[in-house]
Amino acid sequence: MIGRRGKLLILVYVVFLTILFLMCSTDLIIREPEKDIYQIAVIIEDSRDDNYGNFRKGMEQAAMELQADVHFITLYETMDADQQMELIRREQQDGADALIVVPADEDRVISALAGGRLAVPVVLLGSGLTGEGTAGIVWTDYRMMGEKLAREMIEDTDENCLVRIFEDPGKRSVMSRLFLEGAKAEFERSGRGFESIVWEGQGPGVANPFEASVVSEAGQTAILAENPEILTEAALALARTADTPEAPPAAEGCIWGLYGRGDTLPILNYMDRGVIKGLCVTDQFSMGYLSVSTAVQVLEGGMGRKRIELDSWYVERDDLRRPEYEKLLYPVE
Amino acid sequence: MRGRKILLAAAACIALTGCQGRTGEEEKSSIRIGISLYRGDDTFINNIRWELEEKAKEYERRRGIKVTLDIQDAKGSQSTQNNQVERFVSLGCDVLCINPVDRMDASLIIDRAMTAGVPVVFFNRQPVEEDMNRWDRLYYIGVDARETAVLQGKIVVDLYQNRPEAVDLDGDGVVSYVLLEGESSHQDSLIRTEWSIQTLKDGGVPIEKITGGIANWERSQASALTEQWLSEYPDTIELVVSNNDDMALGAIDAMDRAGAEGINVVGIDGTIPGLEALENKKLLGTVSANKENYAGAMMELAAACALGEDLPAAYPLTDGTYYWVPQEILTLDQGESRDFKEN
Repeated sequence: MIGRRGKLLILVYVVFLTILFLMCSTDLIIREPEKDIYQIAVIIEDSRDDNYGNFRKGMEQAAMELQADVHFITLYETMDADQQMELIRREQQDGADALIVVPADEDRVISALAGGRLAVPVVLLGSGLTGEGTAGIVWTDYRMMGEKLAREMIEDTDENCLVRIFEDPGKRSVMSRLFLEGAKAEFERSGRGFESIVWEGQGPGVANPFEASVVSEAGQTAILAENPEILTEAALALARTADTPEAPPAAEGCIWGLYGRGDTLPILNYMDRGVIKGLCVTDQFSMGYLSVSTAVQVLEGGMGRKRIELDSWYVERDDLRRPEYEKLLYPVE
Repeated sequence: MRGRKILLAAAACIALTGCQGRTGEEEKSSIRIGISLYRGDDTFINNIRWELEEKAKEYERRRGIKVTLDIQDAKGSQSTQNNQVERFVSLGCDVLCINPVDRMDASLIIDRAMTAGVPVVFFNRQPVEEDMNRWDRLYYIGVDARETAVLQGKIVVDLYQNRPEAVDLDGDGVVSYVLLEGESSHQDSLIRTEWSIQTLKDGGVPIEKITGGIANWERSQASALTEQWLSEYPDTIELVVSNNDDMALGAIDAMDRAGAEGINVVGIDGTIPGLEALENKKLLGTVSANKENYAGAMMELAAACALGEDLPAAYPLTDGTYYWVPQEILTLDQGESRDFKEN
């Protein structure tokens, strides 16, 4: 028989267990802070995400850590500013809490921000952007990158070596424009002549720019590609020229080296094979991570960092296996 | 009596409200598709992914329905993929497109999808039949591995019948070959190997296997294996039969390094690097699934599932579950592709 005291003890014990259960398993007594999942839309200026591999890794890493729901959106046509503005409007309407934008037309995005037409925080990526109205800017100085690459090319080559720049004026992003301006300014400053050639792509009916008849007239030539797409196509054409047994060994004798910017896997593979001589790269993983973390900071009421500048580096084939560059070029999530 | 009328009126109101809700659901203006790739660095899978992104844009423009693709790389880990599926469901994806890491272990994915009522379109790596039969909202898109293998064999048979000396390089009346196989757990590896070799035999090619190995679909592993075989069997190998293009390219890499010339290499998949090798006459031929059709089927099927519409008639399903993507042979000698005519 349990006495009155025993019953009281059991009752106290049951009450204690109930309180313990409520404290540990429910929000009734200790309320866990609710974590909002922020909807963030990333809208780039390109129709494909080939150049954003490492960027996406950083972006996804930040999304996991900071519990953000990030959508990555490409345009129907590269550099279609109208469509980008339409997508910005659509995403805002569909409930995005913040936007991360690589502007196709910087002026239009900036004027939309200044005119108060964008009601959500916007983080801009790229180069040469003004900070007015933005939640933050993550950028690399592409003009300086162009200067850096041109300096390396000048040091690398003989002064009689002709510099040919493969350009695509029709689809030029802000990044490419600044990169080219920097490179050309450096060549001019050093008194090194260069020749601009409109890149027509590679495909049926388009001559391989590295065939003997094309390159031998010019003598020894160093090639600079304006953007990663041209660099990849040029590297493929150069590799094809060298690989084809029946073709004269034009490329080997006349092409001093192929240079450019970008860190896509095909570009790095071409560099590893010795087809690309020198590259300028930036920390794309950090750019992705920082853009998402800046947006989340602002959404949580923080100030974020208004302007984050990321450095650029010049790398050659031997650098690919150096730990500091390996981490940069092949980031592991 | 009056009370009964009120009850009837209330029931009618509820029924009408219910119908309105359904109409609202039918007018869905956006769909979200969660896509998990077994490995993001697989060339063939990447080609499919690019095509799928294009198809999603095309669908968006055509139907005016916003399509959001959440693409994740499982990096060869089934547990990572299970977590990704969990996340897709939590984020409210309308449909999942899953390229399973372990085709024998899709049950957790199916359980989660069934609980959440989210249909699943598996692709490229076919879950076992028992799993596929568990729910009527599971689908599979892929190629018929036997057809692929027969087409690959035909590339060599055709060449041998036209120019035997181009295959039997030393003219001894026997074609000595090595075999590069994909993952042992992938259903296509065994079938491709078996039927490719069977087609060579049926086509009258006098073959003799020197050796073979599993290179797990990877270029680097295939390159290492071929390098070893070239040193073990110098001037003996006349043909490399590879279960995919990436491994075929690995073999070509090793042959380039060793300075071995003239060895015929056949692949499967028709990847972009594979086609480049074909154009450079390093690869004898490859079998390509129509990637546009592949991605188109994925997009249309996923969208129909998400919107609750009828399944697309342009992509007829076998047994209401499987869609087999058409394939074709690609060789440089023929100058252009040929459709598969026999099975």
